[in-house]
Amino acid sequence: MSNTLRLYLACIRNTLDAALCLQNFPCQEVERHNKPEVELKTSPELLLNPILICRNEAEKCLIETSINSLRISLKVKQADELENILTKKFLRFLSMRAEAFQVLRRKPVQGYDISFLITNYHCEEMQKHKLIDFIVQFMEDIDKEISELKMSVNTRGRLVATEFLKQFV
Amino acid sequence: MAAIAVHQFAQCITCHAWSPDHAMVAFCPNNNEVHIYKLIQEKWEKLHVLQKHDQIVSGIDWSVRSNRIVTVSHDRNSYVWNQEGSEWVPTLVILRLNRAALCVQWSPKENKFAVGSGAKTVCICYYEQENNWWVSKLIRKRHDSSVTSVAWHPNNVFLATTSTDGKCRVFSTFIKGVDIKEKKEGTSSDTKFGEQILQLDLSFSWAFGVKWSPSGNTLAYVGHNSMIYFVDDVGPSPLAQNVAFRDLPLRDVLFVSEKMVIGVGFDCNPMVFAADETGIWTFIKFLDERKTSSSGPKYGSQFSEAFGKLYGQSKYGVGNDAVESSRTRGGTHVNCINCIVPLREAGSSRITRFTTSGLDGKIVTWDLESQEDLLNYHL
Repeated sequence: MSNTLRLYLACIRNTLDAALCLQNFPCQEVERHNKPEVELKTSPELLLNPILICRNEAEKCLIETSINSLRISLKVKQADELENILTKKFLRFLSMRAEAFQVLRRKPVQGYDISFLITNYHCEEMQKHKLIDFIVQFMEDIDKEISELKMSVNTRGRLVATEFLKQFV
Repeated sequence: MAAIAVHQFAQCITCHAWSPDHAMVAFCPNNNEVHIYKLIQEKWEKLHVLQKHDQIVSGIDWSVRSNRIVTVSHDRNSYVWNQEGSEWVPTLVILRLNRAALCVQWSPKENKFAVGSGAKTVCICYYEQENNWWVSKLIRKRHDSSVTSVAWHPNNVFLATTSTDGKCRVFSTFIKGVDIKEKKEGTSSDTKFGEQILQLDLSFSWAFGVKWSPSGNTLAYVGHNSMIYFVDDVGPSPLAQNVAFRDLPLRDVLFVSEKMVIGVGFDCNPMVFAADETGIWTFIKFLDERKTSSSGPKYGSQFSEAFGKLYGQSKYGVGNDAVESSRTRGGTHVNCINCIVPLREAGSSRITRFTTSGLDGKIVTWDLESQEDLLNYHL
């Protein structure tokens, strides 16, 4: 892992540690409802200032916090068109299976590739540091996964091309 | 070790309260029920389950003299439970709320109780003899957001509230026919019901956990920006002190004496604050022992990074490539502590024992007697 990536992840880890102070909080606007305030945004006083952590232009992370929920949105590095399409397909594949991940949001926030929504209920069921570890681990692995996919696509492309061109020899 | 008893009652506890003799404990296991446990021959046994609410119970208070339990819930209702024989009999309190009730406390004389709510109001409830009914009077249009905590002044009239708009307010709750007009004492004699005596705008974030000191001279509350506020001389010219600390924010506080406060919250470890002779409040220490093993390189990550470079990355580079895991917080409690309750000895004003409960489902009893370094403050 490069040094800049480690700093980027350490920054996200510390921010999440401070931001994940969530509590059960019923809705102020709708009777007998209890909804993540960060999604509804009905009462501005229940939201905290969003934090944007950027490693560079292509890689950034937005953390939005409210009294009972937190939303973290990631933009994954996409150097070329192939990476772009791989990222899109891969993260769509994950988002479609969001319920298996519990904290994954079905649709990413606009301008980002993937979003997680952590509510106070997740903090009650799961240990906070494990949740943070999961997010950071996910960010680490996604880069690896994309570059591996890219590699295998390229290898396969080369193989297919070689096989195809053999007939003309 | 300051924790003398730990018991895992449930998966998650939202709030708890003790019976007057401290033999029984009532708590909400993060659902619509209230469980009452009793310690029988060194073992906790479930005696009663109070089922009446249909959403999560957010507040419980057990009155010391009249042995009544009041519960409030997110379903907008409140019940007063009376023990008749071996049964607990509920009486519905008409709160006239249209949002969730969030917190509740009996007044010192136990003839009233206050309920804070998500409807940005506070209900003061009292018993009406002729109707055999708990009546509620509302303090409306004073709060700009949900009321997160309420605390009664020892004089049974003043009520302090904190709200998610970041403000702490003090109201008069004088109700004709319930409170007896006290002797002319100047300020408090001519206040009407619902009159705002004080508004403190110290916090930039949500405020929680307000409490009065035993004499009622000092008020303490916490903000979500990792600050605790102490207010002396509550009245027209209050004196306020802000104390910031470096750890995660607090949820609730407790005065154990005039000069010492225990704060609990997201750091999973009770914090001790104390005032010196001049009245300056400072953070003293954590009550629980802290695991220090992994805390080393966390805060100084940049520094150790530079170190790694200096040593040609031989020492740090490879080892740190593995995923470094987050610091686990706390020791006795492993998740956010959201409730702290004193265990008052009969006839004594000092508090040496208290219990905390949190989202990890444990109720922990703490004893300050064994902490020699705190004895100077704890008079």
